[in-house]
Amino acid sequence: MKKILPFLILLVVASCKKEELGDYLTKDFSIQSASTGATYHINVALPDHYHASGKYAAIYVLDGEDNFDFVAGSCKKYSRDYSKSDVLVVSIGYGRNRALDYTPTDAAEGDGGAEQFLQFINNELIPEMESAFGADTSRDSRILLGHSFGGLCAAYAFTHHNEMFGHYMLLSPSLWYDNLVMLRYEQDKRAANQARPQHVFMGLGEMENSGRMLAPYMAFYQRLQSHYPDMQAMSHLVPHLDHMGSKNPNITEALKFYFQQQ
Amino acid sequence: MKKIINLSFMFLLFHAAASGQPDSTRISGKTYPLSRWTLEPGIGLKPYPVSDFLVSNVLQWNIRKKFSLVSYTSYAYNNAFLRRFNYIKTDYNFSLTQKLGIGTSFYSKAASHTFSLLGGIQYDSYKETLEHPDFEKVSFGLSSVRPDIGLMYNLKVGKKKYFFSYRMYLPLYPYPFLTSDINAVDGNMANISLELGLGIRLK
Repeated sequence: MKKILPFLILLVVASCKKEELGDYLTKDFSIQSASTGATYHINVALPDHYHASGKYAAIYVLDGEDNFDFVAGSCKKYSRDYSKSDVLVVSIGYGRNRALDYTPTDAAEGDGGAEQFLQFINNELIPEMESAFGADTSRDSRILLGHSFGGLCAAYAFTHHNEMFGHYMLLSPSLWYDNLVMLRYEQDKRAANQARPQHVFMGLGEMENSGRMLAPYMAFYQRLQSHYPDMQAMSHLVPHLDHMGSKNPNITEALKFYFQQQ
Repeated sequence: MKKIINLSFMFLLFHAAASGQPDSTRISGKTYPLSRWTLEPGIGLKPYPVSDFLVSNVLQWNIRKKFSLVSYTSYAYNNAFLRRFNYIKTDYNFSLTQKLGIGTSFYSKAASHTFSLLGGIQYDSYKETLEHPDFEKVSFGLSSVRPDIGLMYNLKVGKKKYFFSYRMYLPLYPYPFLTSDINAVDGNMANISLELGLGIRLK
């Protein structure tokens, strides 16, 4: 065993490599939310040549502590690649348990605090971004990105607070949640939402074969295509990758989709 | 990525070459018997994230005492315990794998330990149907072929014609071979397998 251990350690060390996407300026602050009672740490990546008096689109990133660096670096890269205006990337840290903040109903897997959490974004975070950071006040300039339960929360924002965001990035969304409650919400709110112009990117990993992800994902996407004439929708399945592995490739595709539409 | 393959080859070849043992089909006395060919059918599971059952077979050709060629074949019945969940039915979900590789072995009196570097292909296919009484029925299936690279440990216990075989497989795909993103390691974990089998010395 002594002969093998150094070999295995060497294997692990040799395979480690950090992906680097470039530098960006950041500012951070915290908000004690009246809506949820929790304190949220907010990190904001600023565009190149940022000026507080400017007007910038803003991407609100759920699970911000995990996703912020990759999203901010990728925005920098793709805004340059597509010669488009860069955006504010707003990382929303964990205030309460994500199984509370990101889930729409009280069920076995979550506690149903998404409504309060979105009230916090709408009434507290967005006004702060608009007044202090120059975030554009138009709906079309607000983007919401979430993965897994975060994707579920973004889907809930799409159905119940469609006036808040003009772009949605639903990455491996947990649409199986609470006996497919999001499909019911989409159905119930369709009439109110389907006339608005909007962009929805949906992404999944091809190897997410745990018996819960694929069918509701396709059902939701097919509904978007069938019932929302003013929507630009895109679906992307990442080959060979699973739930977590497909996250960053789908963030990349979602941002490309966004910048191409601008 | 090439580092890992190179290191693995170097390790396996160095160990095989450094053995200094004469080739023999059988070592007499109290040492562990060496056979040219072993066939090791087995059953097992992939424990993460949900249990996948599999049947597999390992065919090992011991070219030298410490150097062998290994063939690994398996069929996995995936997602065995969660075929219906929240009105989502799994119509089918399986994986077929064929890998070839090289291995090196360590021997004790009662057992042998073989470490192999394997590479091959895996065919995955699954289909899910959404069957909720209030919603439209939606079915969708995916099939894909992908590389499968990894390290296998194989313990053989027993000196007679039939012996006990235990195998453990550690995938090196998709991380780091496909991507350097550490998030992708959940794909590796989904293909970790633990197997038990009955081995046969053929020759």
